[in-house]
Amino acid sequence: MIRHFFKLIWNKKRSNALLIVEILVAFLVLFGVMSLMAYNYQNYSRPLGFKYEQVWCLNIGWNQDTAQIGEKLKSIYQRIRSYPEVEIASRTNGNTPFANNQSNRNVKYNKVTIQGDIFSTDEQYAKALGIEIAEGRWYTRADKGAKHTPAVINQIAKEKMFGKDNPLGKIIQLEGDERWKIVGIVENFKQRGDYQPNAPVFFNLSDWDMSSVLVKVKPGVDANFEAKLMREIGNMQPDWVFELSYLKTLRKSMNQQTSIPSLIFSIVCGFFLLNVALGLFGVLTLNIAKRRSEIGLRRALGAPAPAITIHFVGEMLVIATLGVLIGLILAVQFPLLNVFDLEASVYLVGMLLATLTIYVLVTLCALYPSIQAARIQPATALHEE
Amino acid sequence: MLSNYIKIAWKVLLRNPFYTFITLFGISFTLLILLVLSAFLDHMFGSHYPEQQRFRTLYIPSITLRDSSRTSTMKGPMSYKFLKKNLSALGGIEAYGISSLFRTTNAYVGSKRIKMMVKYADSGFWRVTDFELLEGKLFNESDIDRGQHIAVITEKVRDEYFGPGESVVGKPIEFNGLKYRIVGMVKGSPVTHPYTYADIVLPYNSPKSEYESDSKNGAYIGIIRARSARDFPSIQREFEHLTQRGLKFPFEESGMKVAHLEAKALPFLTGFIYEFFQSESTEIFFTVVSLFMLLFMALPAINLINLNISRIIERSSEISIRKAFGAPSKTILWQFVIENVFVTSLGALIALVFAQIILSIFNSSGLIPYAVLSVNYTVFGIGLLLALVFGLMSGVVPAWRMSKLKPAEALKGA
Repeated sequence: MIRHFFKLIWNKKRSNALLIVEILVAFLVLFGVMSLMAYNYQNYSRPLGFKYEQVWCLNIGWNQDTAQIGEKLKSIYQRIRSYPEVEIASRTNGNTPFANNQSNRNVKYNKVTIQGDIFSTDEQYAKALGIEIAEGRWYTRADKGAKHTPAVINQIAKEKMFGKDNPLGKIIQLEGDERWKIVGIVENFKQRGDYQPNAPVFFNLSDWDMSSVLVKVKPGVDANFEAKLMREIGNMQPDWVFELSYLKTLRKSMNQQTSIPSLIFSIVCGFFLLNVALGLFGVLTLNIAKRRSEIGLRRALGAPAPAITIHFVGEMLVIATLGVLIGLILAVQFPLLNVFDLEASVYLVGMLLATLTIYVLVTLCALYPSIQAARIQPATALHEE
Repeated sequence: MLSNYIKIAWKVLLRNPFYTFITLFGISFTLLILLVLSAFLDHMFGSHYPEQQRFRTLYIPSITLRDSSRTSTMKGPMSYKFLKKNLSALGGIEAYGISSLFRTTNAYVGSKRIKMMVKYADSGFWRVTDFELLEGKLFNESDIDRGQHIAVITEKVRDEYFGPGESVVGKPIEFNGLKYRIVGMVKGSPVTHPYTYADIVLPYNSPKSEYESDSKNGAYIGIIRARSARDFPSIQREFEHLTQRGLKFPFEESGMKVAHLEAKALPFLTGFIYEFFQSESTEIFFTVVSLFMLLFMALPAINLINLNISRIIERSSEISIRKAFGAPSKTILWQFVIENVFVTSLGALIALVFAQIILSIFNSSGLIPYAVLSVNYTVFGIGLLLALVFGLMSGVVPAWRMSKLKPAEALKGA
C-alpha cells in the first residue's frame, strides 16, 4: 500500500514538490527552535549549585587611589562583618554570581589543558553562598601560606581533566606557572545564571586585592540597613565607588537574557506553524475536491469509508516523510560537523521533537478533509462526471 | 474596469472566508513580524531621541592597545584627558562631547532604595545630543569651572526621589555619600542608547569621576557632531592622525608595553559592529539581517504559492467562459494582477494596523523606559514589494497558464 502511495505522489510530483518544500522548511525552523529549547532545558535542569536569596553583592572601585588598597579593603570588609545584621561576608574577585564579568584561564594537568572559569575568593565563599561540597573540603584559613594555592573544582572540570581518577591532592598548573592543589570538589556552579551550560569551574584561595564582597544578611533586614551600610562604608573611603545589588535581582535579569529571546522565538515559531497548518489544511481540502470522481469510483468499487480516510492521511504522511527525511539529512550535519560545539543529544532531541511535531501537525490537518472525503456518496460523485 | 475587477476580487474573498483568512493571515502576519523587528533595529541604530542627529554624529567608543607582537590586547573606554587632548585639537566639526559610560548607584529615601545610573560629562555632551530640557538649565563651562556639586536629573529620578510633579531645581539629591544640587531636569534616554543613557548627569570634575587619570584607558567615550555626514572621512582621518601625535612607542600602560594604539571615530552602526565583530564592514551586518528576513519570509511565501496554485482550479470555469466570449489572454492576466495586488494590499494594511497597535502597546508598557518605536516605512515598502512578487508569481502565473488554454479544452476540464 505504501508503494502505491509513492506511485501516486510521484505521478503528481510537480504539485507535491511544493508541499514537500513547505514541510522541509517548517521542519528546519522547528528543528532550530526545538534544539534551542532542548539546550536551554538541559542547562536549566542542572542545579545552580549555590543559594542567592539573602545575599547582596557589593562592588568596590578605588579609582585613582593607589596607596594601601589592600589595607583599606580589609578594614571595609571587617566593618561589614561587624554589623549584627550581617550573617556572613565573603570577599571575591569581580566575577561575582550573575555578574557579566568573567575570568577565564587555561588550566593544565599532565597533558590535558582546558579553559575554565576562575573564581578567586576567600575561605568564607562556600558558606556565604551555601555551596555544597561533594568530595574533600573547602579551603580554610589554615591553607594560607601553603606551598600550593588550595583550589576547589567542579564535577565537569574533574571529568575533563582527570576522567575517573581521584583529583584530590593533585597539583594543577596555570598560565604563568602558578600551581594549585585541589582540596575539594563541588557538583555545579552556574555563575551566569540558570541557563548557563555546564562549564569547568576553579575556585582558589586568594589574598589579592579583591574588589567585591558578598554579604549574606539575616532574614528581615531591609533597605534601612542598606542605606546605613552604604553611608558608613562610603564615609570610610570618600573617593571610592561602591555599588550594591541583590543577587536575587541580578539572577532575574541574567536569566532574562536567555529566556526573553527564546520566548520571542517560540511565539514567532508558533504563528509560523499555525500558518503552515492552515495552508496544508486548505491545500488538502482543495486537492480532495479535485479528486471527487476518483473517490466516487473507489467507493463504488466497494472501498469502505475508513479506507478512503486512511488513504488520504497516508498520502499526506508520505509527503511529510519525504520532507522530514530531507530535513533530517540536513539537520544531522549539525552534530556531525559539530557546528556550535553542543552535545549531540541536544540535536537529537531537537530532531525528534521537530519530527513528532510535523507528524502530529500533518495528521491533524489531513484528518478532517479526509473524513469529509470518505463521506462522499459514490452516486453523486460519479453523477458529476 | 478596475472597479469591476476589485468587485470580483472582493466577491472571491467573501465566497470562501476560510481561504481568505489563510491568505490574509499569511501575508499580514509575515509583514507584521518584519515591521516589528525592523522597528526594533531602527530604534537601536537609527537617529532617535536624544540622538536625533545620529546621521551626522561620530562616536569614539573605545581605544585598543597592543604590544609589539600583538599577542596581548587591551580594549575599552578611554580616559578623559586622552579624549580632551585629541578632540580639542580637532577642527572642522560642529561640536564634541566627552562622557563616561553609565554606572549604577543607589540613593535611599527612608527605607526605599532607588537604583540610578550616573554619567559624568562635559558641557559639550549637551551640544552633541538633543536632550529635551523640562526644568532649569544644563550645566555649561563656567558651571563646571566653579567646581560645585551640581547635577542634571531625568523625570524618572524626580518621580522616584521627590515624587511626580514636584519642582526640583535647586533641591539637593544625596547619593554615594555626597549631596548634589539639581540645576536641571531633562527627558531621559532609553537604555538601548548606551552612549546617552543615564538617570543623573554630573559634571566631569565631580568626585569619583576619574577625570584626572593620566593613563589612556579610562571610563569615557567621545562623541563628535559633524556639520554633515559628508565630512566624516576627513574628520576620521584627522582624528586618527591626532591620536598618534606625540606618542613615543613603546610606552607603559597598566603593566603592558604598548606598541600600537588605535582609537577610531565611527558612525554608530559601524562602531557597534566594530565593538562586537572587530570589523568595520556594515555589509556583513546587512547581509545577515536580510538573509534572515528572506529565510523568514520563505515559509509563508511557499504556503501562499501552494494555496494559490491549488485554488486556481476554482476559477477555471470563469477563465474559460471569459475566453469563450472572446477575452484575450492579456485581459485575463490583468484581471488576476489587479486581484492579487488588491488582496496583498489588504493584508499589508492589516499588518500596518496591527504593527501600530503592538508598537504603541510596547511604547506605553514601559518595558524599556523612554523607548519610542515606530514603523519604518522603507521596510514596510520592501516587505510589501516582496509580498506582491510572491503573490503575483503564485496567483498570476497559473492563471496566465490557464488563460493560454483553448476555451474548449478549459471548459471541458471544468
